[in-house]
Amino acid sequence: MLELKDLYGGYGKITILNGVSFKIPKATITTVIGPNGAGKSTVFKAIFGLLNIHSGQILLEGRDVTGQKPRDMIGHGVTYVPQGRNVVPQLSVYHNLELGGITADDQDRVKQRIEVVMDQFPMLRQFRDRKAIELSGGQQKQLEVARALLLDPKLILIDEPSIGLSPNLVQEVFRTLQRLRDEGVTILMVEQNAKAALAMSDFGLVLELGQTRMHDRADTLLNDPKVGQLFLGGHMEETD
Amino acid sequence: MEQFLQVLLSGLATGSIYALAAIGFTLVWQAAQTVNFAQGEFVMLPAFFVLIAMNSGLPLPLALIVALAVSVFVLGFLFKKAIVEPMQKHGNGGGLSLIIATMALAIFLKESVKEFYGAEAQPYPPLISGGTWNIGGAIVSVTDIAHLAISLGVVVGLTLFLNRTRTGRAMQATAQNPAVAEILGVDTNRMVLYTFLINAALASLASFLITPVYLAKFSNGEYLGLIAFIAAIVGGFNQIRGALAGGLLIGVLDNITATYITAEYRAAIPLVLLIGIILFRPQGLLGTSEGRTV
Repeated sequence: MLELKDLYGGYGKITILNGVSFKIPKATITTVIGPNGAGKSTVFKAIFGLLNIHSGQILLEGRDVTGQKPRDMIGHGVTYVPQGRNVVPQLSVYHNLELGGITADDQDRVKQRIEVVMDQFPMLRQFRDRKAIELSGGQQKQLEVARALLLDPKLILIDEPSIGLSPNLVQEVFRTLQRLRDEGVTILMVEQNAKAALAMSDFGLVLELGQTRMHDRADTLLNDPKVGQLFLGGHMEETD
Repeated sequence: MEQFLQVLLSGLATGSIYALAAIGFTLVWQAAQTVNFAQGEFVMLPAFFVLIAMNSGLPLPLALIVALAVSVFVLGFLFKKAIVEPMQKHGNGGGLSLIIATMALAIFLKESVKEFYGAEAQPYPPLISGGTWNIGGAIVSVTDIAHLAISLGVVVGLTLFLNRTRTGRAMQATAQNPAVAEILGVDTNRMVLYTFLINAALASLASFLITPVYLAKFSNGEYLGLIAFIAAIVGGFNQIRGALAGGLLIGVLDNITATYITAEYRAAIPLVLLIGIILFRPQGLLGTSEGRTV
């Protein structure tokens, strides 16, 4: 589904990715873990065309998409949910959802899809005319996830979905991601709560210093004492 | 009472024209995070395009259309491509260097008009030359009413465009959260360009309406730019309705002062208002404070 081949890149002349390579299969969930500054979020930006790529390749379903712009990536069925708050504050919930389909030619279809995602997230229907800024942090995150689903993506890049959410909502977001996976969507996720994220993932990927250190089945990584000691225990801060 | 109505209406009419320029200020601020200190000159210049077009034999309506097109191209498209974009490429999104560049542009435009057109005030044809109406004893100028109607109509139209069309909402998204707009696939560069074109069109309209009052003069921008800037700040800088309120308020206060107190101090009124607002309500009359986080 998605393959990165020896990717180097960064902001301007600063290199953050020092040869990242991995391959993730279709309809799976892969969680990226690693210490602060390992380049976890940067990998997502690189895939989504928000970064200067110095060398290497990004292949999506076998097609070379290296260096393409966000608009093009959306056209290929990729969406990106960055960490933090990512709503348009003064627009209504409905119009935020609509923006998720701004690139589509068929706006009637977008209207239908808005109804479908509002069925999946009933809270959004309840507050559809409210300004996005008036939602709570958890509600805003749900809005972002719903908006990312608007164009029926094939691949979702989701960065720290659990930040600021209550444990219940985290489980709800995770369940949503698993359901999407079962429907055939591929998910690549960075998550501070690495243990919980690996527990619901198919694969895990350890990044360190901008390189792939380990890539294995999620349960294998969970049970690996070295991974546990370095990345899953103690007071690790996983914000990148 | 009759006189007060006349003063009020005439103030609102002038104020609505100030508001057009002030709204342009806020739009450019939102889209490019820069204060365009050449905004006054953007209002001064289109009137000269009209005069040039008329001198080459065009009738007024056609001259207005040509001037509008040239203004939108020069003050919208060229301004963005030749000044704003190159400055923004120099780190931190333009910042102070861009603001200084707009100041330099203001001087350049002003001095160019002086050089090529002369320092004398030029007579300028009024857009609407009506008589007066008697409304309940108050004698009101048809020109004032028309100015008010045109300006408010344009503001309402602009607001509808921004809120009711997908392009308008994409422009709002670009202004409010450019990073998010980009990851959703909004063509942010194009949306910012639209904003600059709209600003140039608003400045042109203000120019066409206000110049018959002031006559066409190279230095008109100094006062108009200051008034528009103050109107935008008074209203709350980041909102269209704030800029509208600020413009109307300054127009009315200016007229009331001139009529009932003294015309000598009218120029001081916007400045006093500005100081008062900064001291007591820095977010502006209708504004909300802009949260900035690192």
